[in-house]
Amino acid sequence: MKHLIKSIAIGAALFTLGGIGCGGGGSGGEDTGPLGNVESLIILQRPKRNDTGDIFQYTSYVAGARIVQLSPPTAAGKLTTICCDKAGPEYAKIDIQSYDLSFDAKSIVFAGKLSDNQTYGLFLLQLADGSVTQIATDPQRDYVSPIFLPGDRVMFTSNAVVEAGAPQHRDEYERGTTIQLGRVNIDGTDLELGPRNLSHRTAPNLASDGRVVFTQWDHLGPENSGHLMFVNQDMQELREGYGKEGTGASNSTLKAREISPGRYVAIATARNRTLNAGALIDIRLGTVQNDNGVVSAPLNQSEANATYHQLTPDVPMDNSPSADTVGRYYDAFPLNAKDKPDLLVSWADGPVESGVLAAAGLSANFGVYLYDSAHQQRHPILDDPAMWDIFARPLQTRTAPNIVGSAQDPKLAGQTLIGSLNVYTSTLHTFNPGEIFGVRVMEGFSSEEGFPEMFGTTEFEGHANLGVARVQADGSWSAKIPANVPVHLQTVDIFGMSLFNEPVWFSGRPGEARLCGGCHESRTATTNVTPGILDTFATGAAQLLGNTPRAQRLQPAPTSSNAIVGVSWGVLPGGKGAALVQPIFDAHCIGCHNGVPGPANPSYTITDPTGAMAPVTWTFDLTGGPLPANMSVAAGGGAFSKSYFTMAGPNMESIQRNGLMISGDFKVYMNPEDARGSLVIKKLNPKQMFPAPSATRAFATAAHLVEQGQADLSAQEFYTLILAADMGVNFYSRENNPGLSIY
Amino acid sequence: MKNIGTKLAAVAFLALAAMPAATYAGRGGSAAAIEAAVASTSTDAIIAEVERAEYLLCADCIQTLTSLTEDSRFAVREVAAWWFARRPMLKDMLAGQFLDDLQTGDTTKVRNAADFLGRTRTLTALPQLRAAIHRSDLGTEARLALVRAAGFMAHTGGNEVLTTAMADPDAGVRAQAVVAWRDMLGQKTAQPVVALLGDRDANVRAQAAGVAGGMIEQSARGMLETLVIQDPDSVVRRNAAWALGQLGNGASRAVLQQAAGDQSGLVRGVAKAALAGLH
Repeated sequence: MKHLIKSIAIGAALFTLGGIGCGGGGSGGEDTGPLGNVESLIILQRPKRNDTGDIFQYTSYVAGARIVQLSPPTAAGKLTTICCDKAGPEYAKIDIQSYDLSFDAKSIVFAGKLSDNQTYGLFLLQLADGSVTQIATDPQRDYVSPIFLPGDRVMFTSNAVVEAGAPQHRDEYERGTTIQLGRVNIDGTDLELGPRNLSHRTAPNLASDGRVVFTQWDHLGPENSGHLMFVNQDMQELREGYGKEGTGASNSTLKAREISPGRYVAIATARNRTLNAGALIDIRLGTVQNDNGVVSAPLNQSEANATYHQLTPDVPMDNSPSADTVGRYYDAFPLNAKDKPDLLVSWADGPVESGVLAAAGLSANFGVYLYDSAHQQRHPILDDPAMWDIFARPLQTRTAPNIVGSAQDPKLAGQTLIGSLNVYTSTLHTFNPGEIFGVRVMEGFSSEEGFPEMFGTTEFEGHANLGVARVQADGSWSAKIPANVPVHLQTVDIFGMSLFNEPVWFSGRPGEARLCGGCHESRTATTNVTPGILDTFATGAAQLLGNTPRAQRLQPAPTSSNAIVGVSWGVLPGGKGAALVQPIFDAHCIGCHNGVPGPANPSYTITDPTGAMAPVTWTFDLTGGPLPANMSVAAGGGAFSKSYFTMAGPNMESIQRNGLMISGDFKVYMNPEDARGSLVIKKLNPKQMFPAPSATRAFATAAHLVEQGQADLSAQEFYTLILAADMGVNFYSRENNPGLSIY
Repeated sequence: MKNIGTKLAAVAFLALAAMPAATYAGRGGSAAAIEAAVASTSTDAIIAEVERAEYLLCADCIQTLTSLTEDSRFAVREVAAWWFARRPMLKDMLAGQFLDDLQTGDTTKVRNAADFLGRTRTLTALPQLRAAIHRSDLGTEARLALVRAAGFMAHTGGNEVLTTAMADPDAGVRAQAVVAWRDMLGQKTAQPVVALLGDRDANVRAQAAGVAGGMIEQSARGMLETLVIQDPDSVVRRNAAWALGQLGNGASRAVLQQAAGDQSGLVRGVAKAALAGLH
């Protein structure tokens, strides 16, 4: 069947001019250009589509994909389909998501979906004879983005879940099942799944030092972006790579591929609406060095030292529609490591934005180009208007890096060990000596456990308090936690309140030991500790539910502060589930704070200046009922309670963005991840919690209940409210999970 | 057509005022943009604009989104339900109306109701879903949506919906029910799925094999050993091979060795890997 291919005569001409050769080496010192020593390209062609708006979308299926070889890599080259027309009738309707070329250039691993009622699986194509075999994977889970690893292994991402019986996480928008890292032998044996992030991990690529670089979606409350991370081939030793703490060029950094040690080309884009495409950036992670024109950045790699160059300065890095002649880039493969490298790219012209394209009934048209970043010029190579021509790369051998892995400690019995050499060592926060009592470890989960879409109005994920590991005199701490689950940390003071919060999730494999230098210590400096055994090893690691099954990591009726796991705000309709917060208000507060306007119950009014909507007034109310009849219809319930709304409050950004006005006595009383700064906590003025309860108050001000002549909160009640704030001000926890109730 | 009504103005005002901070995604958007997308008839445009309005405080959007919950396209209904799921009070108002449809509505109304209630994980609708699957007057679309709802809720209270659907005259409904069974939270056994290994439809058999393997259902071994060498469909044979590898019983060695020589590349590689998993 003929393929309509846009005329690329210009490209053909350019191959014979300007030093871009037609293949084979030049003679007599002739510059044959960046493709001069390339005999052919491998390219993936996928039928064009519009349903891959967000960067983690992986289930898109349109039958008719193929892997092609262009030889020589010019318009005059011969385009040959190498998969999967000869593989058999089972492959007639295949879609291919991505592929990788083996180190010896003799085989290709690709992610393919054979029909609409199947999932994406992994396949191995032998280039010699075109035969295809499937690598054994779960036929009801998707396996995508495969890459070859040394030692006849393949790494991939998958929505299969490492924990038997547990549901896979749903992403923070609750619209997609997350994908995580895994690996398998190419003969299908020994499939392993890695520890989970709470959201997606995607687009792995192998670096020359043997580590794998990939994009991780970091979502924890306000943090909501895609950053580069590194991991060993055995999915241990996760390390940040690029983009955290606001250092990224854009919201998301995607499809990073190594140019030279410490240097990567990647797509800089927004999370959604850009069809996985964006601007090209040249990231240098360490100190830049130039060795005879080869630019690299292998030394002192850290986010603090990282820089980036925009290779395509006109291309938007947000999700606004791109302009004609500007377009967006889907992927890039470096052909050299010049300061301004030459790249094989996939690029589409026009407004590469899913909403605009869809409304116009159009699709992006990605074609393959040679990009001269020094002159910001694209030279066309292949563009089939019916297809996305993507992931072009030379059909060449490459050196396999060493197999890189880490030790696993069988004595951990399936747990993960975490800790720090000296928690006071930090680049993000200055701690006062001695102010840290311990490190709180919290497990994260999302709505896949049966929750409604939102845990609360603060948009935090579900939290479970695994416990507090005490910091020893030398600043060290350690804890044994459940393996494979996402956790984040807070340093806490003697009142149990967070001093500093880690804004991202991390996880470890069974038997993995992850000791940090400090609390986000410098990535290039050495953490110095007093010679000798660390105090935390002498005392032993804190046991933080490391061997407790997921179904038991909850406590509906804690009998002590240390037993609190999840902080459920209120009971479910019909009285089901446990409530930890509302009983405190019921016992101590609602006698005065009952929604009746007055000095004890300030009111505020939200007004629309346009008059489109009538003003609405809210009055401070700590009772546990649903919002009143004039504000909601309680058919079955499901809305958050009056006390929750009073504490969490409306969101000022929403108010401002919608041009609303608030008048009256407006306050937000509970701040997520910030018990210490929360008005309600300050008002109640908690007493010392650690290492043992005492009468010492956190603040110099009077304690509200004592001031009112009331009985003060107990230590457990104080800690419940502190945890409610520090764990995100959620209404739901496992203790009041509607999915656990029997209807 | 569903209509939340003008009284919603005050409700929406305050309810939506409690929406969380948007950082990068879900920003922008407007009622006009959503309406323009609807007018374009493009599914992808509608999805894109509704997603963009994730955090939008927009009373004008509500009726448009309400109408989308009754669109003929599942993808549109799904994203509209998602939008409401982010607004619990509005979701509850609509859920009440959709619950009535499950009991008395026609095929289309039941379809729309099931998709909304399932996608918003309205667990209180499980009794009505269980009742609806037994209705004899519903078309395939509605029955499929009921299964879809039970699957998305993933609550074992919906098991009856799935077991009933496993006997449905439509193969697509049976297959969907089989697939959903595996991912119900706390599901203990795949026993109800074993009989579907003998289904007349190849896709149903293939999915049943996947579930049996994924849930390590040893009682399925005999049928799987027959399928792996005798089923005319290569996808069924492949899934059966994988499942036998998961079961890990050494008694399956002979059939897997035979399957390792299968004419289909789908089967050969999977069968060889499965052999390595046998005890």
